[in-house]
Amino acid sequence: MTMLMRAPTTDTETRYPYLVSSVPAARAVNAVKLYGNAETSVRALDGVNVDFAPGCFTAIMGPSGSGKSTLLHCLAGLDTLTSGSVAIGETILGTLRERQLTRLRRDRVGFIFQAFNLLPTLTAAENITLPLALAGRKPDPDWYDTVVDVVGLRDRLGHRPAELSGGQQQRVAAARALVSRPEIIFADEPTGNLDSRAGGELLAFMRRAVDAFGQTIVMVTHDPVAAAHADRIVFLADGQVVDEMFDPTAERAIDHMKQLGG
Amino acid sequence: MRRLLRGALAQGARLFGTALAVALAVTLVSGTFILTDTVNAAFHQASADNGGTADVVVRSTSLFATQANSLPEREPVPESLLSRVTSIAGVKAAWTAVQGYAELVDKQGKPIDAKGLPTVGSAVTPDVALAAGRAPTGPGEVAIDAETARKNGLQLGDRIKVLFSGSTQEFTIGGFLQAAGDVVASTKAIFDQVTAQRVLGVEGKVDAIPVQAEPGVSAETLRARINAVLPDQYEAVTTAQVARESAESWTKAVAFLPTALLIFAAVALLVGAFIICNTFSILVAQRARELALLRSLGASPGQLTASVLCEAVAVGLVGSLVGVAAGFGAARGLLALFGRMGFQLPSATAVFLPRTAVIGVAAGVVVTVLAALAPARRATQVSPVGAMSGADGARTHGAGGRLVVGAGAGIAGLATLLTGVLGGGARPTIAVGIGAVGMLVGIALLAPLVAGRAARIVGAPLVRLFGEPAFLGRENAMRSPRRTASTAAALMIGIGLVGVVAILAASVKASASRTVDDSLRADFVLTPTGLGGAVSGVPPAVVDRLRATPAVATVSEIRGGQWGLDGRTQTLLAVDPTTVTAMHEVDAASGAAVRRLDDAGVLVRDTVAERYGWRVGDKVPMTFARTGTRNMVLQGTFSTNAVRTDFVITLGAYKANYAQIFALSVDVALAPGVTPAAGRAEIERALADYPVVKVMDHAQVIAAQGDQVDRLLVPVTALLALSVVIALLGIANTLALSIHERTRELGLLRAIGMARRQLRSMVRSEAAIIACLGASLGIVVAVFFGWALVASMRALGVTELVFPIAQLAGLAGLATVAGMLAGVLPARKAAGLAVLDAISSDR
Repeated sequence: MTMLMRAPTTDTETRYPYLVSSVPAARAVNAVKLYGNAETSVRALDGVNVDFAPGCFTAIMGPSGSGKSTLLHCLAGLDTLTSGSVAIGETILGTLRERQLTRLRRDRVGFIFQAFNLLPTLTAAENITLPLALAGRKPDPDWYDTVVDVVGLRDRLGHRPAELSGGQQQRVAAARALVSRPEIIFADEPTGNLDSRAGGELLAFMRRAVDAFGQTIVMVTHDPVAAAHADRIVFLADGQVVDEMFDPTAERAIDHMKQLGG
Repeated sequence: MRRLLRGALAQGARLFGTALAVALAVTLVSGTFILTDTVNAAFHQASADNGGTADVVVRSTSLFATQANSLPEREPVPESLLSRVTSIAGVKAAWTAVQGYAELVDKQGKPIDAKGLPTVGSAVTPDVALAAGRAPTGPGEVAIDAETARKNGLQLGDRIKVLFSGSTQEFTIGGFLQAAGDVVASTKAIFDQVTAQRVLGVEGKVDAIPVQAEPGVSAETLRARINAVLPDQYEAVTTAQVARESAESWTKAVAFLPTALLIFAAVALLVGAFIICNTFSILVAQRARELALLRSLGASPGQLTASVLCEAVAVGLVGSLVGVAAGFGAARGLLALFGRMGFQLPSATAVFLPRTAVIGVAAGVVVTVLAALAPARRATQVSPVGAMSGADGARTHGAGGRLVVGAGAGIAGLATLLTGVLGGGARPTIAVGIGAVGMLVGIALLAPLVAGRAARIVGAPLVRLFGEPAFLGRENAMRSPRRTASTAAALMIGIGLVGVVAILAASVKASASRTVDDSLRADFVLTPTGLGGAVSGVPPAVVDRLRATPAVATVSEIRGGQWGLDGRTQTLLAVDPTTVTAMHEVDAASGAAVRRLDDAGVLVRDTVAERYGWRVGDKVPMTFARTGTRNMVLQGTFSTNAVRTDFVITLGAYKANYAQIFALSVDVALAPGVTPAAGRAEIERALADYPVVKVMDHAQVIAAQGDQVDRLLVPVTALLALSVVIALLGIANTLALSIHERTRELGLLRAIGMARRQLRSMVRSEAAIIACLGASLGIVVAVFFGWALVASMRALGVTELVFPIAQLAGLAGLATVAGMLAGVLPARKAAGLAVLDAISSDR
């Protein structure tokens, strides 16, 4: 490993000076996550420090077992740290109780999972508005129309997930994540189950959400082609942030991964 | 095979609800047998004890065996017969037995509650067993049973009032009898021979002569020897024979009980079957992938079916064994409850025959296996490829057969039911019952067709009330209409039957009330207090006193009795033709028939006469226990429901053929100008010595009839409630299984921001929707079956059809709330899932 360990914030300062004064959309400080008991414990996260700037599309890459999914789950309030802290905006998640965490996920965070993103009993439209409905809110009609048009689902709104293709299902999930205007969207291998064309469409849509609407997205992926759609790649290995890359291309990402032994 | 079973056993916990449903139904089955066996054993024991130390009894012959609960309809035996019996070789001792009605009065002046059992007064016998004090001597002394004394705080030396058929007298308690008040007699009082004959009104006569054999002479030998010298109208029988007769008559009197209880057990098993079928369907569907893997590895369809059926046998066996044990506990609890209520059985131990366990377990296992048969067959229809790829391959298979069977059962049921309603067939009510069962099965099988739409409608108010979680719960209820339908159908059966009972009760009460309003013209009706019965009726002295009361214009007595027609027991009423029509206004034809009736005749209900092909003027061969077969002339027919039996004779004819002297009821018309209040006061004053008689006006008669209906129908409802409980268990079970199936979905919901509270609300909403669906269907079928049942019972006097709307609505509401409560545990389980585990679960 020849890379120097650097605090990522420093780089952000230099690359995006206009963001320096603002609070990061999400941040992990000395994040440690242990699994199992004392003897057989696995350090999934081993002191991760990382910030995610608002309006930025960040990919997290790393070999299997590097802790990238764990980091995403902890950042999203789905899992808790053993030590250290994570924050969404100015809210430190470790201090929140179960109910507050749930509300945070509902109101301030969007999710796109690899599969099983949708409720089979609901139509596409109902799935899209589900987090708002759970909050007892109505979607902003203009924004809803915009999102539906951007993902190109206008004519599939009345269909149930079983009647949609895999790509369409993931776009519904993306629309759902977007419609409540969350501060940050977490995507866990969103293209993992898609063919390259469908995957490309989804990534293009995510890119547009960042460029046109200033949406913050953090995406875990092991696919360098997918990661190349991001503004920045954070590389994880053995539970630590080992490097980052701005304005990546697929080739550079592949090279980096090779160096990491992925 | 073992490997297949291991997969099944892994589901053990998920089969808990099913086993519990089996256990509850089997509890009812085994409890019924244990209770019946115990009661029968108690009757045999009590009957045997009643024989005392005698070996043979000499008594008058009887041509017709009366049912229990009434004193034997036999002529007395002349006292002079005793010396002839004593002189027979082999007789060690012989004495006389006198028995009659003697009701004890407690310290507060109220008759000691007899619980509808005989209150026996008798003459002292040489073999009397005393617990304390001495045998009664002289006209002022009595010995009573120790149990009654204990319960009423009576001491030796206390004065006690005793009511006889002709008089009321006071005695000093000189002794306590060892024999407790038991199932044969509620209370016992013993007097010396002369006193007993005097107070019981049989001077110079005795009921029977018990005989003891000398050592070495068998009861049978002695019986034959005595019979050889007895005149024809007397017979000698062994006490064993008497005990057998007595026990048999008791057993016959309660024979309806096990039948009725087993019907409820069958209902519970039917409801249980729905749950079992549902559970296995869900488990097979959930295991589709596993089963497909086994198929592709070479397991034969037969092996897969066998593995599911083995599982069913295991569940049935465990549930049944628990049920049998619980039945034993339940029976003991009930016996203890009986004891608390005063029906103390002489032997307190519950009788547990091997047959009980065999039938209980067999019923549980057979029902479980039958219910699991269809799901087991479906397990084999899983196509290896389809299931492996994760599609719900086996979901819609067999729907066609189901529809055909459902429609067939429904239509056949409806046809049978309608023949009952239209009065066809000998037993319209039974036709309605059988038809109803057919229709229930049909509706249950067809219910999936409408379950989705129905859930949408039923859930609408919930969605409006609880918002998105309820909406999601409703979508869940609608996604698998078959599962929702069969879960709801189980509740439908329970609620439907409870509803039918409620409708029947309301209709019977309204009909009785209508009959009283329409036809009762007497100002007061006098009946015995307590449950009443053939023994403790209105004493004849009461009738005499009423006649001597100036405020009373007319007194009309009605008596009741049993008789035999071609060996079958019938009942009759005896009336005074000159006064009864003034007390009960009936239709003109019936009234005229009664007025024409004389002592040689009998009136028969028109439908019954038609059934037997009797015409007016024909002879009806009526066999009376005392006097043998008499050919009574059919002098007319009646149709009125005011008469509660099919045969009516005159009091004159009754007195000629029955020894029984008590009236079932006495109707009283006040003299002109006497106000009801003044009349009642005067009557009660005249009858101050007869606390066993109560005076009822019209409202009280209606209330008493209502009480009678409730006494019968409340336990019935309680037993049906067990089926409802099983159905609710089914809701909890189905939801628990569904939640297991939807783990991943629940994880997603939690991840995207559904609060635990909302998740619980969602599951409870689904439960409430299923319950509401079942309850609504139940109420619909209850209304229809209630109408059919009441229509079929028109001939039995149920002329009014009443739907107790508030009660039915309350029932549906209660069931819905209970269903929601049934969802509480599964809801808590769902809310307790760890979000991350749930998302990454492979379900």
